[in-house]
Amino acid sequence: MTNTYILNATWVLDGKPYDFCLGQDSDTACELDGICLPGIERIAPAGELEIPAGAPRVHDAAGKILMPALFDMHASIEIDGRSKRECVSRAGQAAIAGGVWGMLVMPTPGFCFDNAATLDSFHDAVTQRSAAEMLPAGCISEGMKGEQQAPYNTLAARGVSILSDGKNPPSNLLMLHRAMKYASEIGMTFALRGDVPALTANTCIHPGTTSYKLGLHGTPPCAEEIGIDTALRLAADAGAKVHVQTVSTAGGVDIIRRAKAAGQQVTAEVALHHLLFTHENVGIYDTTYKTLPPLRETSDCEALLEGLKDGTIDCIVSDHTPCTPFAKKQDFTSAPQGMIALDTFLQAIYTHLIKPGKLSWADVVRTCCINPVSIANPVDLEEDVPTAAPLLLFNPENGVEVGGDTLPSGTLNTPFLGTKLQGCITLPLQ
Amino acid sequence: MKPRKDLLTIGDLSDEDINTILDSATAMKDIFTKSVKKVPALKGKSVLTLFYEPSTRTRSSFEVAAHRLSADVTTFTVSTSSVVKGESVHDTIDTLMSMKMDYIIVRHKNSGIPAVIARHCKAAVINAGDGAHAHPSQAFLDAFTIREKYGTVAGKRVVIIGDILHSRVARSTSTILKRLGAEVAYMGPGPLVPPQAYTGIPRFSNWDDVFEWKPDVIYLLRVQNERIDSPFFPAKDYHQAFGVTDERLRRIDDLNLSIMHPGPVNRGVELCDAAMDYRNSLICNQVENGIAARMSILYHLTPQTQNND
Amino acid sequence: MPTISQEAIQNALRDWAGRIAASSAEGEKLAVVGLISHGDILARRLVALLQNAGVPALYGALDISLYRDDFDMLSHKPALRASYLPFSTDGMHVILVDDVIDTGRTVRAALNALFEYGRPACVELYTLVDRGGRELPIHPDVAAFSTPKEAGVKVHLLEIDGTEDITY
Repeated sequence: MTNTYILNATWVLDGKPYDFCLGQDSDTACELDGICLPGIERIAPAGELEIPAGAPRVHDAAGKILMPALFDMHASIEIDGRSKRECVSRAGQAAIAGGVWGMLVMPTPGFCFDNAATLDSFHDAVTQRSAAEMLPAGCISEGMKGEQQAPYNTLAARGVSILSDGKNPPSNLLMLHRAMKYASEIGMTFALRGDVPALTANTCIHPGTTSYKLGLHGTPPCAEEIGIDTALRLAADAGAKVHVQTVSTAGGVDIIRRAKAAGQQVTAEVALHHLLFTHENVGIYDTTYKTLPPLRETSDCEALLEGLKDGTIDCIVSDHTPCTPFAKKQDFTSAPQGMIALDTFLQAIYTHLIKPGKLSWADVVRTCCINPVSIANPVDLEEDVPTAAPLLLFNPENGVEVGGDTLPSGTLNTPFLGTKLQGCITLPLQ
Repeated sequence: MKPRKDLLTIGDLSDEDINTILDSATAMKDIFTKSVKKVPALKGKSVLTLFYEPSTRTRSSFEVAAHRLSADVTTFTVSTSSVVKGESVHDTIDTLMSMKMDYIIVRHKNSGIPAVIARHCKAAVINAGDGAHAHPSQAFLDAFTIREKYGTVAGKRVVIIGDILHSRVARSTSTILKRLGAEVAYMGPGPLVPPQAYTGIPRFSNWDDVFEWKPDVIYLLRVQNERIDSPFFPAKDYHQAFGVTDERLRRIDDLNLSIMHPGPVNRGVELCDAAMDYRNSLICNQVENGIAARMSILYHLTPQTQNND
Repeated sequence: MPTISQEAIQNALRDWAGRIAASSAEGEKLAVVGLISHGDILARRLVALLQNAGVPALYGALDISLYRDDFDMLSHKPALRASYLPFSTDGMHVILVDDVIDTGRTVRAALNALFEYGRPACVELYTLVDRGGRELPIHPDVAAFSTPKEAGVKVHLLEIDGTEDITY
């Protein structure tokens, strides 16, 4: 075995070319701009790295970008009618395809992370089948029913540090308040989506011109805002850490901004699709664009981007949700919510946010690599040490047309289907 | 008219389509006057009514229309229990395709269901009302009724009154009337009348403004108590605030305005008793014209069931 | 292209009127029913001519679209015109008028339509042109002109086409 040398790769944060040498010892690491570069033995400005004569593995990476791989704080991996192992395997492949090395897996009915057995079998499946790291988010309540608190100590002993009831945050505030008081003692973070079920029942789209035209019931933005506000107040009182999931409204961003200014322990995420699309994309009942919460107005997209840039929103997440073609072929009201996003995550971010100048590479590294890791805090259970993000090379010159064969997820519910995305990812390096 | 398989919304139709269907409805109405109220146009064709929401009126109007065109009519009873059991629309579509139906008339509480069915089967699909989305056959019968009364729709002023936001009738009827050159306005309880920015249709909040606008036709929507999960407005005030009261009826009579309503009327809510016998009430004409309009719709659609299989 | 003139058409109609007037019995109820969209014009003219000859006749027009036998072969349905037959045909002597007869299928449809307005005592068929090519055992009682089967026939009438002649 010999070392691999990669030359002239552009470092994502300063835009300058570097040469580096990949080590063979998994413990080696360098640091650049405060970011740990695991597996790299030596790094030097381009041309300054000493390469032994006749080294067999020297690659020129001119024009490619070297960056840490991404961590996704919000993915659901369950596919109706498929085995758990297949779901794990597919999501792992999808993540690697989209430049994502690890993800926080939300509990779903099939992956109900409220007991030791499920967590153990999930851990085994991930170890055996997944190309990417997967951390389970434990349930807040047993069976995600919102009634009885889940066994938090049991979950914590299996590496769970974030709790969520998935799509339906508990509406029983007393239960939630007590859960927060108890679980914050053992270092749990509560990942919650802002929602008031009474206001959002039977709704499926943002209220506006499209909802009127299509005759669909609208999900009022205030439901999310009230929900976020409620969660923050409960958490403040209980002394718990909150991570606000999939903020979709300008009002939601404001509430979080104020809470942060007041010093509350809160982090927040936005789903990529809420930055890119609006309710108008729904067109004539295009169920691909049915999401939870729904796609909002352009002004909301702008407020969310602003929140990302000023640090109010900490991460961009995929909110990856595979839905079978059969399920999405139903009418808009009956079809399930969600898009797949892992498969094309970094390519879509590059094509639709970085290239048009809406976000910088530094914003992306911060919101997709550094912040998610510091919130989710992935730990190698066997070794009990923090896991560092691997590196990837991103070639912005190459593009690919998204089709069934480029989507390892195995479902087709992405708005990018049939469109071209820029970017070709090498992950892992070797 | 270009061959068209389905009728899902008015917006899908060209001006030519709309006029052709309206013109043919006149010819269809002529059939009612014969001793034999039946023509053989759809002889041997099968028509299925698939109503997931109860509606005796629309369903029987379609059934009479199909019978008068000599089609065979089957009523597919969707029990509420099988819906509750979660029988998906796709399973139902598979069943329907096996039955080799030529025309499917569908009503469902979810917007967009007829489009899903239309996409997946060869039969001509007619939307008989989907959620708050569209009710195109109602739109045709309304336009036909106004045209019959006034000779033309163009230039007429029609004010639609009631819960506009949740009304498929308001959406479809306002669309067809505007396409035919009428002016349309909405009036109703504030939160139930969408902003003009959404619709391009002026909105009023009281009767005085309505009268000032000088409408020709007062179109009252049915207060849909059954489709509303949680009440939208204080029901007891509706008649006084938005209904045709005795006093308003006198004013309507003085101004010689017409009254329309898609039926069935909630007496004492949208209309006072006296309004039911008002000389310019077109409500019964609407029912009769509904059959003619629906015959014309059935006649002009082209199922793709005739070729090969 | 051979042409039959307006004058010839008018003469033919006058002949028809004379023939009907001569054969109609006293007290007989007469109706002239034209097929939309040229036969109805001929029927209207014939009724006027009969009126002048002192023979009262009722006027009717039939749209036979709904009775056609070739629905499944049409890519789109013809626009409908309202039939006009404001009387029962019970016991009447009905003169059915059309511009051209070829396969006979239109007349078959017209007979079906006509019988749904009552039970006429007898029905006669008058056509301007007989171009042969019959596919049904239906023949006109009177046909003013005959043209070869191979030729296409176009009948133009002043009221709807602006000119009047027959070309084939």
